[in-house]
Amino acid sequence: MTPPLHNESDCDPQRHAEETLRLIARLPAPEGLVDRVKSSLRLAPRRSGVLAWPYTLMPGSWIHSPVVRGAAAAAIVCLVAGGGWRIYSHVQPAPTAKVIVMPARVGNAGGFSNAGAMRTPDTLNGPVLTHGVIPAMQNPVAPAPRVTPQIVKPQAVTPQPGAMTHKKRAAAAPR
Amino acid sequence: MSASLTLPGMEIAHSAVQVEPRQHAKEEALAALVEQYAGTLYRVAFSVLRNPADAEDAVQETFLRVLRHRDTLEEVRDHRVWLIRIVWNIVLDRKRRAKTRPETDDISELARVLPATGLSAEDRAAALQHHARVLAVVDELPVKERQVLVLSAFEELSSVEIAAVLNITESSVRSRLFRARNLMAGLLERPRSGR
Repeated sequence: MTPPLHNESDCDPQRHAEETLRLIARLPAPEGLVDRVKSSLRLAPRRSGVLAWPYTLMPGSWIHSPVVRGAAAAAIVCLVAGGGWRIYSHVQPAPTAKVIVMPARVGNAGGFSNAGAMRTPDTLNGPVLTHGVIPAMQNPVAPAPRVTPQIVKPQAVTPQPGAMTHKKRAAAAPR
Repeated sequence: MSASLTLPGMEIAHSAVQVEPRQHAKEEALAALVEQYAGTLYRVAFSVLRNPADAEDAVQETFLRVLRHRDTLEEVRDHRVWLIRIVWNIVLDRKRRAKTRPETDDISELARVLPATGLSAEDRAAALQHHARVLAVVDELPVKERQVLVLSAFEELSSVEIAAVLNITESSVRSRLFRARNLMAGLLERPRSGR
């Protein structure tokens, strides 16, 4: 059993407030409410009249006998089977194509165009070698040798034993 | 004008149109429901709509819905809770639709039930003013809390039945009622000028 919900409040103004709600909850129904509701129910739209089947379709007539039912069921089965056979016998299986002819592609709609550029292979005019083939270049995948810059120092020119210097030449010259 | 409607191959059978005894029994059961619960439904409707005409309309609509589903009447276990639930949904729907309309706050109906003896005209006016303020505070509550608070005022409804009407658990009813009472106390303590 559930305890009542009404005696849980202790606060006075709150209790007074709930008293207002209880006052509404105790309101007597207006006079004649029941009669008005009943009359509105009486005036409510009723269901339409039931249409009777013709006598031959009424339950218990000869059309509902087991023989007629069986004959009707057999006729339906024959109709369905005959229709199915008719469709099956008329439809020929389509021959399977051995060669599939693909239509030629006309343009490449939707893709990027090459803007009329044509690739001319180098073998057409023959390659022109500007310098000798470096063996290391034969393998394009191999990394190129690392070239470290070298600082070339100016070498001092050592006079050769037989060579004449400017001073000697000047001395040797006739005065 | 012909007495009976005839269609090719068919005609309305007068015997079929006649009310069957079973149908008659259903209508009698419905009439008994009207007599027994019309007042309760009116009070529930009035507690939300606060307008006598709207509340009566809601009661009539409730029984019209019952009439439409009278074939399932025998399957209903608790007719009172079932009917209160129907009228509750109807009044909430009406209240939602009439949201743009200003609140009527018609307290003349309350004046009808106030104890007339022993109260002076001033006291009656003060009491009415107090009721109007309380109802305004109730309107300020959140919907869920307000619904539980309004239904809890009905002494004939237990917390289980309130839970059935609102389609929530009983513990939810109690927690919402607790919150509603706290909110009400806070709103009532607020000075009137602050509104």
